[in-house]
Amino acid sequence: METFNLFIKSIFVDNMIFAYFLGMCSYLAVSKTVKTSTGLGIAVTFVLLITVPVNYLLDTYVLREGALTWLNESFASVDLSFLSFILFIAIIASMVQIVEMVVERFAPALYAQLGIFLPLIAVNCAILGASLFMQQRNFANVGQATVYGLGSGLGWMMAIVALAAVREHLKYNKIPAPLKGLGIAFILTGLMGMAFMGFMGIKF
Amino acid sequence: MNKNGNIYTFIYASVMVIIVAAALAFVNGSLKDKQKKNVEIDKMSQILKSVKINSPLSEAEARYGETIVDSYLIDATGQKVSEDAAETFALDMSKEVAKPAAERRLPVYEASIDGQKKYIIPLYGAGLWGPIWGYISLDSDGNTVYAATFSHEGETPGLGAEITTAKFQEQFSGKHVFQEQQFRSLAVLKAGAKAEGQDAVDAISGGTVTSRGVETMLFDCLSAYEAFLKGLQAAPATDEAAENNENEQANVEE
Amino acid sequence: MSPERKDILFGPLSKNNPVIVLVLGICSALAVTAQLKPALVMGVSVTVVVAFSNVIISLLRNTIPSRIRIIVQLVVVAALVIIVEQILKAYAYEVWGQLSVYIGLIITNCILMGRLEAFALGNGPFDSFLDGIGNGLGYTAILVIVAFFRELLGSGALLGFHIIPQSFYDAGYMNNGLMIMPPMALVVVGCIIWVHRSMNKDLQEK
Repeated sequence: METFNLFIKSIFVDNMIFAYFLGMCSYLAVSKTVKTSTGLGIAVTFVLLITVPVNYLLDTYVLREGALTWLNESFASVDLSFLSFILFIAIIASMVQIVEMVVERFAPALYAQLGIFLPLIAVNCAILGASLFMQQRNFANVGQATVYGLGSGLGWMMAIVALAAVREHLKYNKIPAPLKGLGIAFILTGLMGMAFMGFMGIKF
Repeated sequence: MNKNGNIYTFIYASVMVIIVAAALAFVNGSLKDKQKKNVEIDKMSQILKSVKINSPLSEAEARYGETIVDSYLIDATGQKVSEDAAETFALDMSKEVAKPAAERRLPVYEASIDGQKKYIIPLYGAGLWGPIWGYISLDSDGNTVYAATFSHEGETPGLGAEITTAKFQEQFSGKHVFQEQQFRSLAVLKAGAKAEGQDAVDAISGGTVTSRGVETMLFDCLSAYEAFLKGLQAAPATDEAAENNENEQANVEE
Repeated sequence: MSPERKDILFGPLSKNNPVIVLVLGICSALAVTAQLKPALVMGVSVTVVVAFSNVIISLLRNTIPSRIRIIVQLVVVAALVIIVEQILKAYAYEVWGQLSVYIGLIITNCILMGRLEAFALGNGPFDSFLDGIGNGLGYTAILVIVAFFRELLGSGALLGFHIIPQSFYDAGYMNNGLMIMPPMALVVVGCIIWVHRSMNKDLQEK
């Protein structure tokens, strides 16, 4: 039950876009159509599903203060957490490289559609952000970390698909020239964020 | 050398890793002590906050020295097990609360406020997303709350994170943790709910899990001090009398 | 200073602003602007990291193996960010706590990778340094504007000092709590874009 709660919360309450603004750049650039947004969302979710648990294991067994005690008792006071950023991003970059190769082999149409944005997933703030939040939140086991990663990805995907859907329709509206395009996308995201604040009290 | 060749790439990558690792280790090593000191000063400032002293970080260490007159560790029966102030301060609450109540070592900080003694008890518990902690101070009657301060690591801003606001914390002053000589702790209630047989404060609307975490944290941590607090409730007059007796005897001996 | 150099340095303040024109660095621009102080510290940190990573990559640009180009960039940026974070933790602990995860997210701040790819790899160190400073300042400018409105309207304060006089509150004025919440940051940036593009008609989208 607690795991299910965690899953629902990471999708709706701690939504990567509406609560924490992570992954906005690629979202604003790509979310013009629902189709590309869905493809990007799936890719991001997949990368999160793998990188968050791997980084959790790295953090628990290598980086934290005292984590290296399984190697040798005398390492109890070693704190390598200052290396977190660089190691997390290394794991993420490698994972994205692998995902890129897999997508190119098995879904060449999607690969062509996403173009430059596939390798740019590596620098998507949502991916590194999820790992950093995971580090802060002290999950009990790798299963919970995986659920958190999956939920975060799905929440991100849901947000950009919803926004793309609205933006597709906005093409037919009369918007003042200075607001067209980017300006209205920001205000729109803000309004949707306000709507999502309604999920904050949710509990199962 | 061929920039695209494998050997060049490999050597380049290795040299880069070595240089970066060395640079980072150097920076971390030279700044570590200062960082540790900052964490300690932050802790001191939180302890001071729990007795209503809001000191800027630059003065926190000095104020701490003036205000906290004694700190020691006790066990579940209320007996002192250590009088070492440094050991008390350095105790890792997250590890202690994981132990069963009988084995825990419980820190107590004694503050002197306007000539009166306040007892500060550290708290540690779980919020929605991560740990929450705080300090609660009780008057010398071992029952009335003087003030409380709370902190968290990753609660949602605007919701669970509100436990750090004055508005939430000020509610605790004046509440009683014992009702009719029985330990009851405090309830953190949602709007409209009523408390049975105990004092209560309002929960954070929208921050249900964090508020419940505060309630559980108060109960779990304070119940370990029950024997100690009961001792305070029984003893106040006796302490003064004992001190007076000691003074008289000292005078007589001179 | 030559006109080209002036353009490199001052262009990003308005017509090439990384946040509202190039759409880079949005994430942290929104997250840390609930108050002015963390916004300023974030702005300065990003400026420092962009400027120095630009210089380092520009110096290395003829030696980087093509296969690991992105990884080398990431490593340099990550190392610089770690150094900035360690310094903040030692000398500005309170702000470090306020910025928390967002310091690490400087690494993935699109402005950095964007400028490295677009400028540092093809230009000399001094020009790259100027480009870094310029983009950093442009980014900081937007952060400061957003944080100014959010803190003033949301808490009645600036840099922690109360600005709105008590008489206003007594007359019935209340702080707009929604301003501190994430969605309003997005709306404020939207409004800034509105104003900016009204003044720079060539930036308007068709």
